[in-house]
Amino acid sequence: MKAQNKQIGTPMNRVDGRLKVTGAATYSAEYQLPGLAYAVLVGSTIARGRVSSIDTRAAERAPGALAVITHFNAPKVPGFAKGQNPSQPPTAGQPLQVFQDDKVRFNDQPIAVVVADTYERARFAAGLVKAQYVQEKHQTDMTVGTRQAFQPTQARKNPKSPVADYQRGRADAYQTAPIKLEAEYIIPTEVHHPIELQAVTAHWEAPDRLTLYDKTQGTIRTRNDFAKEWNLPEANVKVIATFVGGAFGNGLHSWPHESAAIMAAKQVNRPVKLVLSREQMFTMVGYRPYTWQKIGMSATPDGKITALTHEATGQTSTYEEFTESTVQQSRMMYAAPNVNTRYRLAALDVSTPIWMRGPGEATGAFALESAMDEMAHQLRLDPLEFRLRNYADQDPENGRPWSTKFLKECYQMGAERIGWSKRPLTPGTLRDGDWLVGYGMGVGTFGAHRSKAQTSARLLPTGTVLLQCATTDIGPGTGTAMTQIAADTLGLPPEKIRFELGNSQFPTAPTQGGSSTVNSVGAAVQEACLALRDKLRQLAAASNSAFAVAQKEDVVLADGYLALTGNPAARANYADLVRQPDDALVTVESKPSEEQKKYSMYSFSVHFAKVRVQPLTGEVRVSKLVSCADAGTIVNLKTAANQMKGGAVGGIGMALMEAATIDNRFGRYITKDLADYHVPVHADAPAVEVLFVNQPDPHVNALGTKGIGEIAIIGVAPAIANAVFNATGKRIRELPITPDKLI
Amino acid sequence: MATNPETDLPPTNHDEARRSFLRQSSLLTALALVPGPVVHAASAELDETVAAAFEKMPLKLEINGKKYKFSVEPRTTLLDLLREQLHLTGTKKGCDYGQCGACTVHVDGQRVNSCLSFAVMHEGKKITTIEGLADGDKLHPMQEAFVKHDGFQCGYCTPGQIMSAVACVREGHADSEAEIREYMSGNICRCGAYANIVAAIQEVKQGGQKV
Amino acid sequence: MNQFQYVRPTQQRTAITAVAKDPNATFIAGGTNLVDLMKRGVMTPQKLVDINRLPLTKIEHQKNSLRIGALALNATVANHQLVRERHPLLAQALNAGASAQLRNMATVGGNLLQRTRCPYFYDVTLPCNKRQPGSGCGALEGINRMHAIFGFSDKCIAVHPSDMSVALAALDATVLVSGPKGDRSIAFADLHRLPGDAPEKDTTLEPGELITAVEVPDGHFTRYVSYYKVRERASYAFALVSVAAALDLDGDNIVAARLAMGGVAHKPWRLAAAEQHLIGKPATEASFRQAADVAMQGAKAFKHNEYKLKLAPNTIVQALKTAAAA
Repeated sequence: MKAQNKQIGTPMNRVDGRLKVTGAATYSAEYQLPGLAYAVLVGSTIARGRVSSIDTRAAERAPGALAVITHFNAPKVPGFAKGQNPSQPPTAGQPLQVFQDDKVRFNDQPIAVVVADTYERARFAAGLVKAQYVQEKHQTDMTVGTRQAFQPTQARKNPKSPVADYQRGRADAYQTAPIKLEAEYIIPTEVHHPIELQAVTAHWEAPDRLTLYDKTQGTIRTRNDFAKEWNLPEANVKVIATFVGGAFGNGLHSWPHESAAIMAAKQVNRPVKLVLSREQMFTMVGYRPYTWQKIGMSATPDGKITALTHEATGQTSTYEEFTESTVQQSRMMYAAPNVNTRYRLAALDVSTPIWMRGPGEATGAFALESAMDEMAHQLRLDPLEFRLRNYADQDPENGRPWSTKFLKECYQMGAERIGWSKRPLTPGTLRDGDWLVGYGMGVGTFGAHRSKAQTSARLLPTGTVLLQCATTDIGPGTGTAMTQIAADTLGLPPEKIRFELGNSQFPTAPTQGGSSTVNSVGAAVQEACLALRDKLRQLAAASNSAFAVAQKEDVVLADGYLALTGNPAARANYADLVRQPDDALVTVESKPSEEQKKYSMYSFSVHFAKVRVQPLTGEVRVSKLVSCADAGTIVNLKTAANQMKGGAVGGIGMALMEAATIDNRFGRYITKDLADYHVPVHADAPAVEVLFVNQPDPHVNALGTKGIGEIAIIGVAPAIANAVFNATGKRIRELPITPDKLI
Repeated sequence: MATNPETDLPPTNHDEARRSFLRQSSLLTALALVPGPVVHAASAELDETVAAAFEKMPLKLEINGKKYKFSVEPRTTLLDLLREQLHLTGTKKGCDYGQCGACTVHVDGQRVNSCLSFAVMHEGKKITTIEGLADGDKLHPMQEAFVKHDGFQCGYCTPGQIMSAVACVREGHADSEAEIREYMSGNICRCGAYANIVAAIQEVKQGGQKV
Repeated sequence: MNQFQYVRPTQQRTAITAVAKDPNATFIAGGTNLVDLMKRGVMTPQKLVDINRLPLTKIEHQKNSLRIGALALNATVANHQLVRERHPLLAQALNAGASAQLRNMATVGGNLLQRTRCPYFYDVTLPCNKRQPGSGCGALEGINRMHAIFGFSDKCIAVHPSDMSVALAALDATVLVSGPKGDRSIAFADLHRLPGDAPEKDTTLEPGELITAVEVPDGHFTRYVSYYKVRERASYAFALVSVAAALDLDGDNIVAARLAMGGVAHKPWRLAAAEQHLIGKPATEASFRQAADVAMQGAKAFKHNEYKLKLAPNTIVQALKTAAAA
């Protein structure tokens, strides 16, 4: 069979579209289990100290109340008792062990969970729980935190850690150069806020068997975490996440509310559903950390960067060191001889952050790409020309060749579509009626990561091939892309493929994060399909010599039977092939090869923004965005473009409105819902034009994919900030760019 | 049509007790005048099943063309009634404060946030949820258009977007891209599929089909 | 949320008596703000008197004014022919508020009685004199970015969130109420109060008084009007500053003007002195700027809302420019 791309590259409709538009898609709070009880968390009202007492009597007596669990009566959690690190944090530290001690580490830390027979009763009873505290002095102020920043433990232990200090050439060489800039940039705390509230339904199906219907980006990671936490064999924990209502990173860590629901279910011996409130989404499931950054840059008069220094300090909690790749883009994007980076943490009395879309790279790109614009302006150079003069033809961080890099092509396509030639070199000079108009650009990059993944493939008697994998789909359209990959690999129409996901009992897959799902799972699906075809050929060969001598590529899986190209007589029916139920089943593990270490593998993007600014009121409207991606092979043009558009909208939020604010006197968020914490609405979202280079990368995997999710947002915020500068002459180095900053 | 799906709901013992209490009572509406809701019941340590009966009120609604009789606590929102008691989980809870639009349903044909009203306030009204939009297996044109234009990613805000979009066209607020964006701004899509949603609405509007 | 008693009277008198005799009772109409506040425990009524069965939805022209029933929905009012023709400023203000769904639920009476969106009011664990008299004002020394620059007291610096009210203030509306002691009418400017020493009181309504209608007098402000709302996103957000501007022009000459601001005080902030200043002036940016300077006299900012001292006059200018160009 000659693999012909009939589906890959087409804008196929989503395989689960009908379920989503009819309300039939089932999310984690929507499983109907007999005897289901409802849990509501009670949060602390101080940021640091101890819970000295909790009065739970009124709550316990409230109608319908089934249990009130606090650290005074919480069941023993074996994994906690072992003192190990049950929830495998992404970095150093110890995740919060809920209800295990009296210590308060952040405001709104869960201190009790109330379970009742209805949601209304649980919520009412939760309001009756009253705690007394011994308060200690807290610190939630990043301006103080930044002054006490420290190097992450993993960087101290391992100089090769990705968050360790980096240097090529001379450190801080920009300081002594004649043409230089030094600028500080701040992004505030941002919150993922998927529209689905974080929810888990915990069901002990037997004293040693646990099922979780959970909003997670990794069924296997969640399974492993809670198997360890409850000292159960992994096989005894089942995690279901068939539909995930957005996550953007907050499902990449296990959180206290999940432990609380499991504990509650154990205590009341009923399935328990726990849904966070919108307020709790600020404090209990991570966020993009407040980050201070400084860029130092020097250049020659003709626009060659001579030195670049990028420093960053990100916020973390007192109990976990959350780190991310904030300074990575500065190491490899531009061909400067002297580059150094320093990444630090500030530990505050807050909950732990977690990666949020584009994670540290999006934060870092705001600083780097703003500075690029500042330097271009200083040099009186077109910012696109400035970037071209510093284009890196190989990875300057390690000297390796790029696996593929079509960023120049992206620049060209995007500049043409936005009308870059209309951009005035002098800011504040272009008008449309009362409004100022400006153009800006920002570049993004993210590693084309791939990790090992398994997938099973089974030929069913109906002729359908069923593929199963534990991966999740938080929205990009994983099931659809996998269906297309399988259809093309097997030469079947997509209707003959069924791809099932979101179940930890399916073959192992990595978490859906870091733009790596198609790179990893896509490869596994392709290999599983090839393995299935080979297995069927072997089965056929046993009874039919034509198959025994046939070339692999000539074997065709038709509607329920196996055939040979060019030999119409050769045919093996399902019944001939499959004698035992698992004859037609294969499970493969796909992994990246050593060969790949020879290359630097990245996806690239460039975003061009056109903005309008009302000079009197400071209102900013993004009137057009053009996003161009070098993301390798595009499996589904429709869903991939959608993902890019979504990243652009996320970038608009980052640039113009998103900020979670703490009143440091109380150490408590005063932005508590979606009226205080603004995310873009329809009226904020312009037409986004998406352009793909769509050239396969031969080194990441056989499909040629590189990943889209992160580069869709990385670089958008600086593109908008740079456009605002071009429109107004005002350089805003602290996001979000709200009206007050422009008047 | 006049079924009583109350009997279709999985009864708990409490529900059973309450129902029999209510059947015995010839003055159902008088229940509302009985003082002493939960706080009183709790402080007086009344027998919980008796207290629960006093907490509830009768309610009649027509949901997706089907008539229902309920006994509900006045504090139960229309959203929680749909999701937790009727298991019509297509209507989503995204914020619970009227700030995201995921809970949008039609009440007597008008789009509203079901999270911000108590179910009892809709006595006698007709509710349409996403589950009641299609004509059997045939999708509503707006549902078709959302699939075609990929007007969603994770799918969670989608039912609310679609209910709102149908109303937006019916109201006559879909005459331009800008007007659609303004009149759809009560429905947040954090995945950012806005451009595709607008395209879907425009297609339906321009297609001129009955919505 | 606590349990509560729920009654649904069909007679206005019954409804009023039910609330008047019970200090823990409150009216509920659209519920868009009350249900929200009850979910968060900010308001904990023991009894809700649902007034949606009362016949208060009519919109009609009577004598010299447009009478809008208190239970008319925000969307209905905004789309009503009489409102669009006679008071386009009101229609604009209504459409600038909330979302299409909320405007289908919220009533005119309820819109007037919205509580502040101050985050300290909304979080029951933080101090707030409005929610809990005597507990202190969290915003005074806190994050007061959204807060008042006019008419505040050291007890409360919250702002009134309604857009509709800003237009009604500019249009000299009258509020009709009915209470245990009978009916009365309240000049719009006298409905909402400044916080003073009793920020827990948003309005001058007596216990049990029910808003039955709003009357908007006829006027010449049918064309040169603008409700200009500056917010942190393009729609579905509360105002940083909003301005209702209406002009009566004779050629380029200003015959009469109306101006009110939202997002700057505990009540819709009518700018009478600025209006006076505009009369007889040409409709130019220079005149508008002078009027804005007049309007800003006495403004004072706090740590995080200093920008309003600039944004407010700029928005006045922008609203007047937009109105004049309409």
